[in-house]
Amino acid sequence: MMAGTRLTGVAASEGVAVGPALVHVLMELKPERENISEVEVEEELGRFQSAVEVVAEKLSATAEEMREGGSEKEAGIFEAHVEMAEDPEFQSEVEERVKRLESPEGAVISVGEEFAALFAGMEDEYMAARADDVRDVASQIASELMGNETAGLEALAEPSVILALNLAPSDTARIPKGMALGFVIAEGSRTSHVSIMARSFGIPAVVGVGAALEDALGARMVALDGTEGYAVADPDEDVISDFEQKQKDAAAEAALLEEYKHAEARTSDGHRIEVAANIGSAEEAEGAIAWGAEGVGLFRTEFLFMKRTDLPSEEEQYEAYRKVAEEFGERPVIIRTMDVGGDKDLPGVDQPEEENPFLGWRGIRMCLDVPELFKPQLRAILRAAPYGKLRIMFPMVVDNVELRAAKEILEECREELENEGTEYGEVEVGVMVETPAAAIRARDIAPEVSFFSIGTNDLVQYTLAADRGNERLTRLQSADHPAVLDLIGKTCEAAREAGIWVGVCGESAGEPDMISKLVALGVTELSMSAPAIPRVKKIVSKL
Amino acid sequence: MVEKEATVVPEAGLHARPAARFIKEAKGYSSDIVVVKDGREVNAKSPLRLMTLGARHGDRVVIRAEGDDEEVAVEALVAILSEEEEE
Repeated sequence: MMAGTRLTGVAASEGVAVGPALVHVLMELKPERENISEVEVEEELGRFQSAVEVVAEKLSATAEEMREGGSEKEAGIFEAHVEMAEDPEFQSEVEERVKRLESPEGAVISVGEEFAALFAGMEDEYMAARADDVRDVASQIASELMGNETAGLEALAEPSVILALNLAPSDTARIPKGMALGFVIAEGSRTSHVSIMARSFGIPAVVGVGAALEDALGARMVALDGTEGYAVADPDEDVISDFEQKQKDAAAEAALLEEYKHAEARTSDGHRIEVAANIGSAEEAEGAIAWGAEGVGLFRTEFLFMKRTDLPSEEEQYEAYRKVAEEFGERPVIIRTMDVGGDKDLPGVDQPEEENPFLGWRGIRMCLDVPELFKPQLRAILRAAPYGKLRIMFPMVVDNVELRAAKEILEECREELENEGTEYGEVEVGVMVETPAAAIRARDIAPEVSFFSIGTNDLVQYTLAADRGNERLTRLQSADHPAVLDLIGKTCEAAREAGIWVGVCGESAGEPDMISKLVALGVTELSMSAPAIPRVKKIVSKL
Repeated sequence: MVEKEATVVPEAGLHARPAARFIKEAKGYSSDIVVVKDGREVNAKSPLRLMTLGARHGDRVVIRAEGDDEEVAVEALVAILSEEEEE
């Protein structure tokens, strides 16, 4: 292995860590014995029962600890594991096998696998993911039967960076407090158990580094940056001091910003600016509030539609929207309807190959043409509305023809729900101003909506005719250009006349140099990735 | 033996919280109780089996019980399935 190997992955939990590496290899659990003899049956059945009891007790204790520590969600996971361990069907199937002279540890592993396979085959993604929970519980019972002290994690005496293929909830729970400096994980995404745990305990984590993890297994030291999403195996002096500096900076800034986090942002002349978060999944809601989000300025809903073979059901979307609505309560949440185009595949939608996907059949254009895509989303939002304060925002709108068509479909959905007697709530409707056309004729659109939110990323790209991803065009990729600023100004002016408010949900809402300009133009809401919120509040209050 | 058909009302279907309540209730009866959906029959006292049944909001299921308290058991369990989840 080369010193300084860099592993790139998903930024799952922010923060920086440097420390000795601890490799936690998940050994495939092998039963000690395949079979037992007739005379052992009674005794082995008894051993199985006590193993279940011990494991259930440990899991209950962990759930209790989590709850006391304020980690309600994690407590729920462990409570579900207790239920699984005590499941009568699971037990009777293991007992049947033991009576047929299988070893109890072997039986537990096989029955666990059978249940895991049932779950893994389920359509519902959430249920399919429960397969890992069943395996986790079964392997704990088997380990208990074999008297395995799954050495490593609970014996950890030196604060370390943990490298693993994956970590089950029971693994993370076994780590003594303060001993995990960070996680570098081969599998997983931001929504894996390990990522959620890491975030709620404030431990930096990089997940999904893939096979590259193998290159780091022999490392003695690991540095990781969970904010950027990479790790360095056996970092040299320069990298270490670089990371130590990052740590110091982050700590200093965190202390400085703490006072701004949950404060209201007000300019020195008294203008109130609402600072909200952009989120990309329901799981991010909790973290956003912790960063001081006063609402959600942009809830991207594309995550619901990606990486799957079917379209998400109304029910599934409803669950996600309701979760965020409940999490934010009185604080407003703007849900942007699906904005996908020819650059990404949508299951069940026939998308022709396009030469210019960003100028193609995308966003509201596609939604208006494919009601079976659009309506379930609108119905789900309306149904989730009573649980909080939801707003709908249509992306890529060019003119009132599109806006009116979209509002008509929304009205249809409302009537349907009314006639079905399904509970729903009212939502404000807004337009995402990201095409020059919408900005230039903002005056036409403003009277028909409750708010504007400027998507500066696309507005810049369309106004300056500069591809967002083209590295040679960096000068033309900033909202700080007179042409773009003019369009933002026009939008604010039209909004003022119509008596509606304007927000900004693009990158520029979090850029220190842009904030003063946006506020001066009349923007009253800024929405950005959650960790930037305290900083933005501070900048606003110095204006 | 007593059996009765019910529509799953809780939005989350038969998993998460509604399932936990359902199972807790089922375990309180001595009768053998099963839930049937699309011809598949599972033990109502087993969370693992019940979850893999994948009963969703709006699905029709049959609850069947056999034992000393079969009648009350079926009534109580149908009632749980027919209620909106409490917040």
